[in-house]
Amino acid sequence: MAPKKDAKKAEPAKKAEPAPASASAPEPAPAPAPAAAPSIDLSAVKVDFTPDQMDDYKEAFGLFDRVGDSKVAYEQVADIMRALGQNPTNKDVQKILGNPSADDMANKRLDFEGFLPMLQTVVNDPQKGTFDDYVEGLRVFDKEGNGTVMGAELRIVLATLGEKMKETEIDALMQGQEDENGCVNYEAFVKHIMSV
Amino acid sequence: MDCRNELRPKPQDEDIMDIPLDDPAANKAAAKIQASFRGHMTRKKMKDDKPRVEKQRERK
Repeated sequence: MAPKKDAKKAEPAKKAEPAPASASAPEPAPAPAPAAAPSIDLSAVKVDFTPDQMDDYKEAFGLFDRVGDSKVAYEQVADIMRALGQNPTNKDVQKILGNPSADDMANKRLDFEGFLPMLQTVVNDPQKGTFDDYVEGLRVFDKEGNGTVMGAELRIVLATLGEKMKETEIDALMQGQEDENGCVNYEAFVKHIMSV
Repeated sequence: MDCRNELRPKPQDEDIMDIPLDDPAANKAAAKIQASFRGHMTRKKMKDDKPRVEKQRERK
């Protein structure tokens, strides 16, 4: 296992001077912005990971580099963040990437140093979903108030609301989750989702 | 269209007209849940693809 020392070199990205509380607690967006949300100022993000985390992140990052230039494509950024335990929405990632065009997404590449403040932004997100958030979100569809939702209805919701999922994605997700009546115990479902 | 209803007993609670397509709160909640699902599936896929490396990282 070759020790990857380059991750430890002095971070030029840390331009943020040791500012008071505002550095560690990122300001939430001032207003519920509609489609065109302003891009985030990544240079103001204080990257604050332990050396162990940096090693882990660098390793995961490397796994996604299919070209061998120590970079990844913009369109891979969401997945790398997910691989590292985060759950950003696609919209979050778009915003963090600076609202790139489809062409940018496919062709622009990002190095590890550039990735870190992006990851930090997601890690710092005060609106991160919790077990309770997800359960409450699904409870809306629990018509009988008995802790279950119809699998078929959940599938429709996933395909038509929010950031619509494709049928193949939904099938993969729902595999083994519906009981013999086609019902899903959503608390158990969320626990299962959060276990990986 | 009516013949479809006769062939299939419609479960009274499964009314797809209840899906709040235009409700921003519902959409936001859905997007959040979908984000957790996507996260889960990516991690699961990585776990299935990379047995040794992933187990090492699990120590976080």
